[in-house]
Amino acid sequence: MSKDQIRLVDTDIHERVQYEDILEYLDEPFKHYIKNCHWVQEKHMPYTQPSVAGVDRADTVVPDGRLPGTDLAFMQEQLLDDLDHEYGVLTSALDPSPSSMHGWYEMATALASAYNDWQINNWLEKDDRLYGSVHINAHDRDGAIKEIERVGSHPKMVQVLLPIDDIMWGDPFYHPIFEACEKHNLMIGMHHNEPPVYYGKWPRYFIEWHTLISTAHMKIVTNMIFNGVFDKFPNLGLMMIEGGYTWIPHLMWKMDQQYRDLRHEVPWLKRKPSQIFKDQIRVTTQPAEELTKHEFESLVEQMGSDEILCFSTDYPHWDYDSPTRALPNMDPDLKRKIFADNAKAFYPKLP
Amino acid sequence: MKEQVVCKTTDIEPGEMMKSDFGKQNVLVCRTLDGEFYAFRNECTHQGAPLDKGMICGATTEESKPGDYHYCRKGEIIRCPWHGREFDIKNEGRMLANPNKKLPGFKLRIEDDDVIVYK
Repeated sequence: MSKDQIRLVDTDIHERVQYEDILEYLDEPFKHYIKNCHWVQEKHMPYTQPSVAGVDRADTVVPDGRLPGTDLAFMQEQLLDDLDHEYGVLTSALDPSPSSMHGWYEMATALASAYNDWQINNWLEKDDRLYGSVHINAHDRDGAIKEIERVGSHPKMVQVLLPIDDIMWGDPFYHPIFEACEKHNLMIGMHHNEPPVYYGKWPRYFIEWHTLISTAHMKIVTNMIFNGVFDKFPNLGLMMIEGGYTWIPHLMWKMDQQYRDLRHEVPWLKRKPSQIFKDQIRVTTQPAEELTKHEFESLVEQMGSDEILCFSTDYPHWDYDSPTRALPNMDPDLKRKIFADNAKAFYPKLP
Repeated sequence: MKEQVVCKTTDIEPGEMMKSDFGKQNVLVCRTLDGEFYAFRNECTHQGAPLDKGMICGATTEESKPGDYHYCRKGEIIRCPWHGREFDIKNEGRMLANPNKKLPGFKLRIEDDDVIVYK
């Protein structure tokens, strides 16, 4: 391999579980509720994803007909081998997302544990390139910490995954979870599930919702920073996954301006919000807004750091970004950072 | 003049498409519901997705008023398997959301039951 060649560290890959696959990892009575009572996780949105094949790329169905993201061998062939990934971080997230459940927290906690065991056995321990996310039910805080203690020390678990929905994770109630993350060198990965982006409600059309996902990401970053999470846990990092990246300078400027005026209310912030962002928050690129080279380089300059962006494909979902086509050409040093080094520097457990 | 049989007319039913090769180029051969054949490069102009993995379908018309769905142009629109971008088969492969972009096309003729792409 030439020294100029960059092997991709992909910060958002969705493996997919079928409920029947995790039954063996579930205790009763939860197994019964899925197997015999046909429980499925709640969904909120009134629309489908109006692409060719719903949430997935139409060409990611496993050749034997199984759903996209369910088969490691096909993921290796279509993604990891084809693009020569160095590492990939599994994020699952959509289904199940135990921390998004609005009740029945006993089921959510059991589901998170089962999912983690399934993920470790079927993915993390079967491909050296794949790293994982610890699923928790954050509403059952003590149960969540227990789960982090149980699987967080696994060498291939790099982050704890929290959904972006209608919950403000900066609330002090959740801080013990962040403490447990710090203890195990785990970062926080946040990926939206189905945030009600219109003032807590749903817009009429999917295109409205999908356009405004970035606002849900902005809200949670603002919440985490001003609630002092990053001052309280200086070794904690937050990876914001799948909200695009053009919102970053706007939010930095806005938070800094507000901080200059209203710092009095949040005296625990010892750094400018933009500095906290640069120190402890990273952002995956997908779904990449289509910028020219000039626009892209200007945007990175506006961020004041070339260490924030981390490339992600979002495979196998329909709004997948191709590593060779999604971003404009850029300086080789910047490219190396975005496609590999920034993620390696962010996750303590990535080699 | 370079030319090549890319498939038989019987290989594609109206409203369907298939991939083939024209020299080293990957070609998407489409057949609209009226039986006509068209050929484009089998690669989305956006991020390079293989279009044969997408679908031929219709469009929700551009003449639509807010709140009004009218499904038409059935069998005349290629949709990309990844991001769903729509290309108008009968209008030079132009993208519905941005007609300035179009799929590179190939000349095509039918001889007996051969579908022939040529330069």
